[in-house]
Amino acid sequence: MRSGDARREILHAIRTNLESSPPDRLSAPASSPPVPLSVPERGDVVKHFTEQLAAVGAQCTTVRSETEAAAALARILADAGARRVVGSDAPLVQRILAAVGNDIVIDRLERLSRDELFACDAGVTTAQWGIADTGTLVLESARERSRLLSLVPPIHVAVLSVRCICESLGDALARLSVASHAITFITGPSRTSDIELTLVVGVHGPQTVHVLLMEGP
Amino acid sequence: MTFERDARTALADGQLRGALRQATTLFGERRRAALATVPDWEGARDRARAIKDETLEHLDRYLEEFAANAERAGACVHWARDAAAACDIIGGIAERRGARTVVKSKSMASEEIHLNAALARRGIEAVETDLGEYIVQLAGETPSHIVVPAIHKTKAQIAALFADKLGIAPSDDVATLAAAARDALRRRFAEADLGISGVNFAVAETGTILILENEGNARMTTSLPHTHVALMGIEKVIPRFADLDVFLQLLPRSGTGQVLTAYQSLITGTKRRAEDEGPEELHIVLLDNGRSRMLASRVTRQALACIRCGACLNACPVYRQIGGHAYGSVYPGPIGAVLSPQLFGLARSAALPYASSLCGACRDVCPVKIDIPALLLHLRAQVVAEGVAVGKGHLRERLAFWIYTAVMVRPRLFAWLMRAVRSLRIMPPLGAWTKWRDLRPLAPRSFREQWRAGLRDQRGPDA
Repeated sequence: MRSGDARREILHAIRTNLESSPPDRLSAPASSPPVPLSVPERGDVVKHFTEQLAAVGAQCTTVRSETEAAAALARILADAGARRVVGSDAPLVQRILAAVGNDIVIDRLERLSRDELFACDAGVTTAQWGIADTGTLVLESARERSRLLSLVPPIHVAVLSVRCICESLGDALARLSVASHAITFITGPSRTSDIELTLVVGVHGPQTVHVLLMEGP
Repeated sequence: MTFERDARTALADGQLRGALRQATTLFGERRRAALATVPDWEGARDRARAIKDETLEHLDRYLEEFAANAERAGACVHWARDAAAACDIIGGIAERRGARTVVKSKSMASEEIHLNAALARRGIEAVETDLGEYIVQLAGETPSHIVVPAIHKTKAQIAALFADKLGIAPSDDVATLAAAARDALRRRFAEADLGISGVNFAVAETGTILILENEGNARMTTSLPHTHVALMGIEKVIPRFADLDVFLQLLPRSGTGQVLTAYQSLITGTKRRAEDEGPEELHIVLLDNGRSRMLASRVTRQALACIRCGACLNACPVYRQIGGHAYGSVYPGPIGAVLSPQLFGLARSAALPYASSLCGACRDVCPVKIDIPALLLHLRAQVVAEGVAVGKGHLRERLAFWIYTAVMVRPRLFAWLMRAVRSLRIMPPLGAWTKWRDLRPLAPRSFREQWRAGLRDQRGPDA
């Protein structure tokens, strides 16, 4: 009940104070202008996206099939010396992981305890959208369980279709739905400059973000 | 009145001033470079300010809309009139959930209400997880910069601190130090019962809260514990989801000079199905604590448009010399000098509106075009009107103006005094001003004397 009182009090204080300073002009409509639906050449957008990925310190490999994706993933994991890998529940991720070689331990997220998750070397997810202007990946919780796998292991590998690359932040926001309780924008690896302004990569989140960019159908 | 004393202490600290110069210059340069990537920066600033003005004009309506939509999505919304109420609400949630350890990501509002101390009184330990905040907390200090809280500490000091508190071998390698903090904090994330975060923007239309960061600690804080508490000032609300576009263009560029920070978390209520990832409970605490009062004037209301980027700190010639601690408030720099007196009372922060040369650099860099110099003048007028003492300079200043008035209204006294000064052919020392400058000597004869001696009769050519 006290909470209801506080709500009434705060709203009352806001209204009273606003009334004591009447508007000095007609409040102009301040809505954001509609996002222009630009239709740029797809090739340009993809090129722009990969350039921005590099600029923010993410890696990118273009693949044309699931088989190529599995081969690229195996190389990434081997190069990093990753032993334990966890995939999300996305069918595409499961299929790609199934095709990766045998010398890697593959876990399923739902079978892991929190401690085991913290001990994993790499997480594999998909990304629902890419943003070309900023080199950003967008992950939606309603589509896949990717929230922890894209955060806790030191390596995050994200599979993204070239058809899902938006040009700008505004384009991406227009496509998103809050049916997802958590939407995460990821731009490069985790970073800090808190000690003497020296850049350190991978402080709480992943040190490596690798995008497998899927071309083709 | 400790501002003057603390400012003097800071000015005498060469290491602090070097670090401040480096940080504020670097962020200023990065900011300028980042602006160039926005085709219409001025337009973006105007649009953002218009959105903020519109929101504040109808803040009651947008807050109700936000609360209703957040609750519909599964969040629990709390309203806190002041700091004590907010601490009670959060402490109550922590106790009900049986939390012993709380992980926190950066939240200025939580520092404003002294949340950590309030939780400690209930026997609950709050661990700061942003690297800079963690360093400052381990050292038992307070942040000195909004974006780089531990800018006042060298890596050697941090190495000694970590060796002492975390038991690691001393190292002057920054990556090693960061890794030590990561390991120590991972254990805290794994055991924490409750996560507390701030909020950068709250969308009325959808009930979404958005949190920006670079390290990933806010993502950990908001996704690992079973309960997430988000604390936000009531001014953080914006009307529409699409409005995020312009604010996400402005905030990272103005704050760190990044096009976008590494992570944005957009959280709308709680998880929809049991097997989803994320906390079971989301509590959003709406904090007033003096903010609604600021709506009463169009001048003071502007400060509620602030998006806490820190650009005005980096641009301010006063902040660049003295840093954040001297302001004696969780909100330092130019924006702190206008927020602190309004939030915490003029009597406690009366010196702050004077901690500025009114050069206007803060207004020029502000992404939402807050006229900070106008606000500072407004507050100075209030300090005078309310007769709040401003420090030891105040009495001397009043005495000087009393003498000045006494002389200026008595022409004969004025003439006699000026004759005396002229005949001595010296200028009085005026403290720090004449320490480095010479005042121009007075003319041998005053204008009045020249006028009486015949200047009156000389006519110009066109008369």
